Amino acid sequence: MSSVIWYLYEFARKTWVEGFADAKSKPDIAEKPERFRDFPEVVKELCIGCGACTLSCPSPHAIKLVREEDSEESEGLVYPVINNRACIRCGFCAEVCPTEPKALRCGENHLIREEFNIIPSKRQYLVDDFLCIKCKKCMKSCPVDAIEEIDNKIHVNQSKCIVCGDCLEACPVKGAMKGVFIDNLEDQKAVIRLVVNTLEKFIESKEEELQELPLNKLLKLELPLSEIWDKAIAILPDEEIAFEIMENATDRLKINIITWDDSKCTQCRLCVDECPTGAISYNKENNTVKRDSDKCLRCSNCYQTCPFCVVRYFVAKFLLEEVDGEWKILITLKESQLVNS
Amino acid sequence: MLNTLKDIVRKSSIHVCLINCGGCNGCDVEVVALLSPRYDLEQYGIYVHNNPREADVILITGAVTEQWIKKIKRIYAKAPEPKVVACIGNCPLSGDVFNQEGGNVHAPVSDFIPVDAEISGCPPRPSEILEAILAVAPGAIAARGREKE
Repeated sequence: MSSVIWYLYEFARKTWVEGFADAKSKPDIAEKPERFRDFPEVVKELCIGCGACTLSCPSPHAIKLVREEDSEESEGLVYPVINNRACIRCGFCAEVCPTEPKALRCGENHLIREEFNIIPSKRQYLVDDFLCIKCKKCMKSCPVDAIEEIDNKIHVNQSKCIVCGDCLEACPVKGAMKGVFIDNLEDQKAVIRLVVNTLEKFIESKEEELQELPLNKLLKLELPLSEIWDKAIAILPDEEIAFEIMENATDRLKINIITWDDSKCTQCRLCVDECPTGAISYNKENNTVKRDSDKCLRCSNCYQTCPFCVVRYFVAKFLLEEVDGEWKILITLKESQLVNS
Repeated sequence: MLNTLKDIVRKSSIHVCLINCGGCNGCDVEVVALLSPRYDLEQYGIYVHNNPREADVILITGAVTEQWIKKIKRIYAKAPEPKVVACIGNCPLSGDVFNQEGGNVHAPVSDFIPVDAEISGCPPRPSEILEAILAVAPGAIAARGREKE
């Protein structure tokens, strides 16, 4: 009895009643805390159907890539479907999803946080193992010891590299240490394509001069950079990157040029069978042999075959240089020394 | 009158039996976390006995291994009516990571015994387990108790 009275007395206390009435669980007990990952959400429209999520998923029945039925107007969407009964909420799928923005999301994901990235830089330093002479000058010049030798190969440890560029200056071999631009690779390719195509068209427009060029003589041409510059900047707005890409492209570029003198052709058709891509065709009605320059590989097989010097084969080399305050692409054309020498 | 009183009492006194039929123990740890002062399972009138003979709710974790097929049926038979089965985690639902090609698990558990509640997650959060037990158990226990009479 006394205990009942004690309980009644205890429960009637004001602090106890107030505490009992106001009792609440902490919000992170009842709800999912922000830092927790949840089951992935799928944004169907962004999915490109690459299947990276299914490949990365550790649980066998968690992700299925499905394709909707095609309608008359459009193809059905391909997208992953998450099975919550098998998903372990590891977040790998959201991590590997390559689309931008991601087609798969599952809240905060520690591995794709910005802090873990290396120093923000346009460049990444890489060693070209083919050209590297293993002099180790770059290793000595590196202030943070980011360059290592592994398996007799010089290697830049990207997690240590501070992108100072000292190694590039120390390297005695041109091209062995590279400061590669890692962003907008597609744009870089487009700029290179633009440079090569313009140069090729420019040279082919001078075909008449080439025809008259005597053996062992050089033909020198000039193309002002300003003709390409505006187009290149339109593709790749960063001037530093665009200029370096063009400089490197012209520096290494070697274009082979084939000229075709129809007046000397005797329709012997030796070259027709020789051509690996079938770019040379014989027209029976007109009795002419024709070369399709779009198909042509510039392999010089026809040039080596032709007994009548119809075909001539030139090699063009390029250099980007400042001449009288104006940047120009200098072109030197020389007849190939393959056979006639 | 007596029935309503019984219902009220039954709803606030749920006895739970936890069975791990071949999992990684992750979900069991979450249930243990549920017993801790932070979540305090017993304030909801839920008691973990680990004895099927007096259980109202059977919590199942793990992806049914070969040896557990018979035992799980026996344990289910031993629990008195009314009983509720709740699967904790993905293992009893789909086999999860253990259900690989060439694996030897016999998931899902619903092939062997009837399942009332599914809690997905690997492991699910303690609050999710609690939520599921409270959502399904009191009602089911009260309803089944009446059915029998």
